[in-house]
Amino acid sequence: MSWNNIQLIFLREVQDQLRDRRTLFMVAVLPLLLYPALGIGMLQMTMLFREQPRTVVILGAEYLPPPQLLKENRFVFTDRLTVTTEADLDKSDRDGPDSHAVQLIDQAKVIREKLRNRDQLEADIELVMQELNDEDRTTALQTELDQIEQDLIQIFASSQIQVLIIVPERFAEHLEKAKRQLVDRKVGAQNNFDYPRPIIVKNRADDKSEVAYTQVKQAMDAWEQEILKEQLSLAHLPETLPKPVGPKSVDLAGKKQIAANLWSKLFPALLVIMAVTGAFYPAVDLVAGEKERGTMETLLICPATRSEIVMGKFFTVMLFSASTALLNLASMGATGQYMVSVAGSGAFSRIGDIAFPSPASLIWLIVLLIPLAALFSALSLALATFARSTKEGQYYLTPLLMVTMGLTVFCLSPAVEIKPFYSIIPIVGVALLLKALLLAPVPTNELYFYVVPVLVTSIGYSLLALWWAVEQFKSEEVLFREAERFELRLWIRHLLCDKKPTPSFEEAGFCFVIIMLLQFVSLKFMGQAIEHATLANASIEANELKKAIGLLLLKLLMIQQLVIIFCPALFMGATLATSFVRTFRFRMPKFSMLALAVILPLVLHPLSLEFLSQLNWFFPKLSESVVKNFETMSDVQQPMWFVLLAFALTPAICEETAFRGFILSGFSRSGRVGLAIVLSSLMFGVTHMVPQQVFNATLLGLVLALIAIRSNSLLPAIIFHFIYNSLGVLHARVSTSWVETAPINWFFYVEDDTVRYEWPTLVIAAFVAIALLRWLVRQSNAETTSSVTFVHSPKPERLAGTGAATKPPIEIA
Amino acid sequence: MIHVSELTKNFLDLRLGHVTALECVNFNVQPGEIFGLLGPNGAGKTTCLRILSTVLRPTSGTATITGFDVSTHPAEVRNRIGFMSGNTGIYDRMTAWEMVEYFGRLYGMAEDTLQERITSIFTTLQMYDFKDVLGSKMSTGMKKKVSIARTIVHDPPVLIFDEPTSGLDVLVARKVLETIGLLRDQGKCIMYSTHIMREVEKLCDRIAIIHKGIILATGTPKELEHQHSKPDMEELFFELIDNYERQCRDEGYKAAALA
Repeated sequence: MSWNNIQLIFLREVQDQLRDRRTLFMVAVLPLLLYPALGIGMLQMTMLFREQPRTVVILGAEYLPPPQLLKENRFVFTDRLTVTTEADLDKSDRDGPDSHAVQLIDQAKVIREKLRNRDQLEADIELVMQELNDEDRTTALQTELDQIEQDLIQIFASSQIQVLIIVPERFAEHLEKAKRQLVDRKVGAQNNFDYPRPIIVKNRADDKSEVAYTQVKQAMDAWEQEILKEQLSLAHLPETLPKPVGPKSVDLAGKKQIAANLWSKLFPALLVIMAVTGAFYPAVDLVAGEKERGTMETLLICPATRSEIVMGKFFTVMLFSASTALLNLASMGATGQYMVSVAGSGAFSRIGDIAFPSPASLIWLIVLLIPLAALFSALSLALATFARSTKEGQYYLTPLLMVTMGLTVFCLSPAVEIKPFYSIIPIVGVALLLKALLLAPVPTNELYFYVVPVLVTSIGYSLLALWWAVEQFKSEEVLFREAERFELRLWIRHLLCDKKPTPSFEEAGFCFVIIMLLQFVSLKFMGQAIEHATLANASIEANELKKAIGLLLLKLLMIQQLVIIFCPALFMGATLATSFVRTFRFRMPKFSMLALAVILPLVLHPLSLEFLSQLNWFFPKLSESVVKNFETMSDVQQPMWFVLLAFALTPAICEETAFRGFILSGFSRSGRVGLAIVLSSLMFGVTHMVPQQVFNATLLGLVLALIAIRSNSLLPAIIFHFIYNSLGVLHARVSTSWVETAPINWFFYVEDDTVRYEWPTLVIAAFVAIALLRWLVRQSNAETTSSVTFVHSPKPERLAGTGAATKPPIEIA
Repeated sequence: MIHVSELTKNFLDLRLGHVTALECVNFNVQPGEIFGLLGPNGAGKTTCLRILSTVLRPTSGTATITGFDVSTHPAEVRNRIGFMSGNTGIYDRMTAWEMVEYFGRLYGMAEDTLQERITSIFTTLQMYDFKDVLGSKMSTGMKKKVSIARTIVHDPPVLIFDEPTSGLDVLVARKVLETIGLLRDQGKCIMYSTHIMREVEKLCDRIAIIHKGIILATGTPKELEHQHSKPDMEELFFELIDNYERQCRDEGYKAAALA
């Protein structure tokens, strides 16, 4: 790769973009104008903004006790609400009846009536249930009650009342009586404080009602406080009596911290979004635009290689992505700060003085922006290469933006903080680390600990995306795609008629998508089935129930494997490929491969078990329901053969058919076996959903795929998979007592009721595993290992097995 | 200079299925010679030239240019050819001078030789009046001149022109043909594809008539006219294509009869 060419292309592309009015507008003009314009708009809005008065209706306002709660259609304690009472009806008599007030009061009265009915009915039901024990009657009453509740919801929602207060009759009198008794100290014997209380009706689902309710509550609380104060002084009790604890809160949030809090919410999200948009438009213009303007071929015939061209363009896009993001942040920060200083006593004054983040935070921001911009630039370039025109390219922005937005919104949640697992997820790691760095007044060592994984994985993802972009650029089909009309009929005919012995790369990918979709759909059915089983078996005792549900889960697991994984792969194999035998590797393997498939899982299982337990801190904790389901399924009560069938045999056959059969064959058709192994095992991992298992399954997938490729048969992979899973089942069920005896406890020990492996076992297992894997890697693929190729191979010693390695290979000319 | 043997290229098209764009094409081109590739639209001319320029990879067969194989040493090949076709446009947001300079630098030319070379090309092709005009503001004729300048800036031994006169008026077309003639006289090895018979008659030393990916005849225009006893290229061309179509039909009938 010549840096000279990359630099030449980079400089030309930058110059080209700077001469383009659209790019300049997007990158520079828009952020510099947008935020000040938004700021002016917001200032104007706050000047024009006046809160809409909400409607509160009080029935029985005449029964309200002193002190005064209302003063001319307003609460004494807040003036943000208009109150309508029955008194308004009399008032409006002077110039005709006030139709609005009449309507409100009528609606309120209907609601009051219904509420009374409801209370009556509830009391009736209680009575019937306890004394008559008449089920039919209870059901009838219950239906009536439901009806009334439905009516109430509907009437209140359709009325114009936001909050309705119903003061019971003679409320003031009751209160007065209670007060007198308090003065005479007669409380106790017959409790006279047990009088009907006012009711406040609201609708939590309606924002207007909820807002009005909060204000009503504030006003009523203040008012109640007054009444309480009076009662206490009458009873000669201290005012502080109702609040014996009454803690005082001290807010130690510094001004800088408040600002940091604001920036930590705004900056990561804005940085991510702006890095995407800043990368995408130049990328589309640089690749799809070049195709459209007919200069692509000019560039392809110059001596620069495809990788150099992509790199040159990549650095250009990255430059624009990073500068867009930085300019946006700078402009937004400056505008925000200016607005706060201008607003003074206005609506923004509550935010306080928002100082800019410290220089250290800003440096972190730039450091983290680089891998982020790199990732988006490479992704955008790959997508843009695929597009035939700038217009088509812009359609691809939407999915990229949606995924990015989803991840960003996830990071915005205050509950989500950076954890080891999150630090390796693309975008999420960067956004969370940045959030933490902006928030912390002094970054702790813990945060610095995350910098390395976040940067390393981000750069890794960027390189992967870049590699994809280069691949796209090297593909003739992508680069010279004709603008042909897409026709579903033609496409299906092509799929079914122009088949090859094994499926294509795209078909293998599609098989995975189908499996994931089916898995997503099945989640609902699994949940429903468990719920039904729990309900149906409610009468039996807990232990029995556990067994029944466990059995059901095991059955569901098997059905899921068969329907979701096995069937799609088999069906696609039958329809999309001509050779069933080659696609699913129906072939008797060599004996050595079968032996390997038996021994390798025996040594890999202890290693992966200990390895995963060492990595436990890294993964997020599983939710309780998931853990419970696992426990129920692998419970000791279940028959052993059934658990083995569900956990070992079915997955071994189903998953191998799909992942080492259809998907691996499809990915490896073009001859890129390494890529096929990695991709198929990643997909195998992803279908396992739970992060721990995803990790473990991906590693195992590599081994399984290598076995399948080397033996060119599915049988060793199935045997390996079966034995590996069976070991997991046995490990969970084996009794721990036998481990105590002398020679055995050198190799095993017991912790938390499970058998664990001592280091000698692990060392032996590691040695055997490495030897076996080395042998496996050095094997040649079975398809080509006929006796002829064995002899003519340029490196015969690499093909020989462990036993044959010492013998000199026979040369036949 | 250019050796092409058994060159084949297959495409996959949804509508047509597997398409053979080129089938076992063979020819050689020597320095100081213009080799014409004559064929109707869709005959496979562009595919053949794109393989020679290493933009497409052949399905089978080999092509070597100045001794370098196009599939194994694409970078060396690209360094030694100048390629111009209807699809090699010029950048809208670059001036004529910048465009030629940019490609000269990509070919790794030293700065002083490059400036000299551009000056001489701009003088010969009379390009000084639009030296600083942006691509988007140029007329078709100006753009063609910039393209030619871009093609020859690194003084390559092999030049490939794919329908260079399409869409040009008579005056500009004539200028282009004159330039190509001059380049031959400098001893360049030139491939020239077109569907216009007069250009072939006037310019090409040897021609190949290509149709549906197959070369129907190769030779000097005079030879071919004599062999098939036709008065001019046009008659010869139609005769060859008619013969081929008839042969295909007959074979189709035979195959049907056998089945």
